[in-house]
Amino acid sequence: MKYVRYGAIALITFVILAGIAIPTVRTPQGLFEFPSIPGLGQKTRNIFFHVPVAWTTVVAFLVSMYYGFRYLRTRDMDFDVKSVSSAGLGFMFCFLATVTGSVWAKFNWGEFWNWDPRETSIFILLLIYAAYFALRSSLDNDELRARLSAVYSLVAGLTVPFFIFVMPRIMTGLHPGAAGDVEGMGPVLELKMSGNMLFVFFMGLIGFNLLYVWMLDLRVRAAKLDYSQLLKQSK
Amino acid sequence: MEEFLNANQMYIVLIIVLLIWGGIIFYLFRIERKIKVLERAFESKTQEPRTQKKG
Repeated sequence: MKYVRYGAIALITFVILAGIAIPTVRTPQGLFEFPSIPGLGQKTRNIFFHVPVAWTTVVAFLVSMYYGFRYLRTRDMDFDVKSVSSAGLGFMFCFLATVTGSVWAKFNWGEFWNWDPRETSIFILLLIYAAYFALRSSLDNDELRARLSAVYSLVAGLTVPFFIFVMPRIMTGLHPGAAGDVEGMGPVLELKMSGNMLFVFFMGLIGFNLLYVWMLDLRVRAAKLDYSQLLKQSK
Repeated sequence: MEEFLNANQMYIVLIIVLLIWGGIIFYLFRIERKIKVLERAFESKTQEPRTQKKG
């Protein structure tokens, strides 16, 4: 976990520094210049922050689904704690991706919210996981809550790849990678990024994922204490 | 405001980075609060603060 912590700090610091300090020029030469992507300008840099956050959302929801599945197999309360902690973090990252996306949309597409397929699908995901927490808080029995929310997290997790990877690509929309994209840009990875941009971008992906692992660990540790028998007796 | 941001797009990046940072801080405070509740529960069970016990 020590390496996770330092890795997260180092990588995200690197991404903030490199992502903001390296100038964008029309014809980049060398490592320390980014090409300016038509139509994005300086806002290109948002890719280093907005996309990793959105990506971490997917990881967190899938991990939540995985632990939900493990809980159903073993009925071990630890897995329930991990599942709900991961879903909570996923929700936070999902919310951040939505808010940062909407700020970006204001300056690229003119409005904070455009009902672009990807905006719509992430909004639905937020609603799905809001319902997950509503379900959990409506049940008093620990066993029942763990079982029902594990099943729910399985079903909800199955919709994630569809909403994030499939739907935004088969429908026409504003995000790069949508069907019928006028500028002919592929999904983010095929976006015309130069080698050094891709490097910063991937460091961002890894950095935010490590940050997620660290935060998940903190939350799971706190939640496990909460569940522990010691405190149960004192209540 | 909008014109200024359109002319100085770097500040849009700044807003986005700050939003993410704010979200992470908010989450850390929530964990902090959770741990504080646990600490109080622990202390009330052991009757005395842990630091005194050690000394």
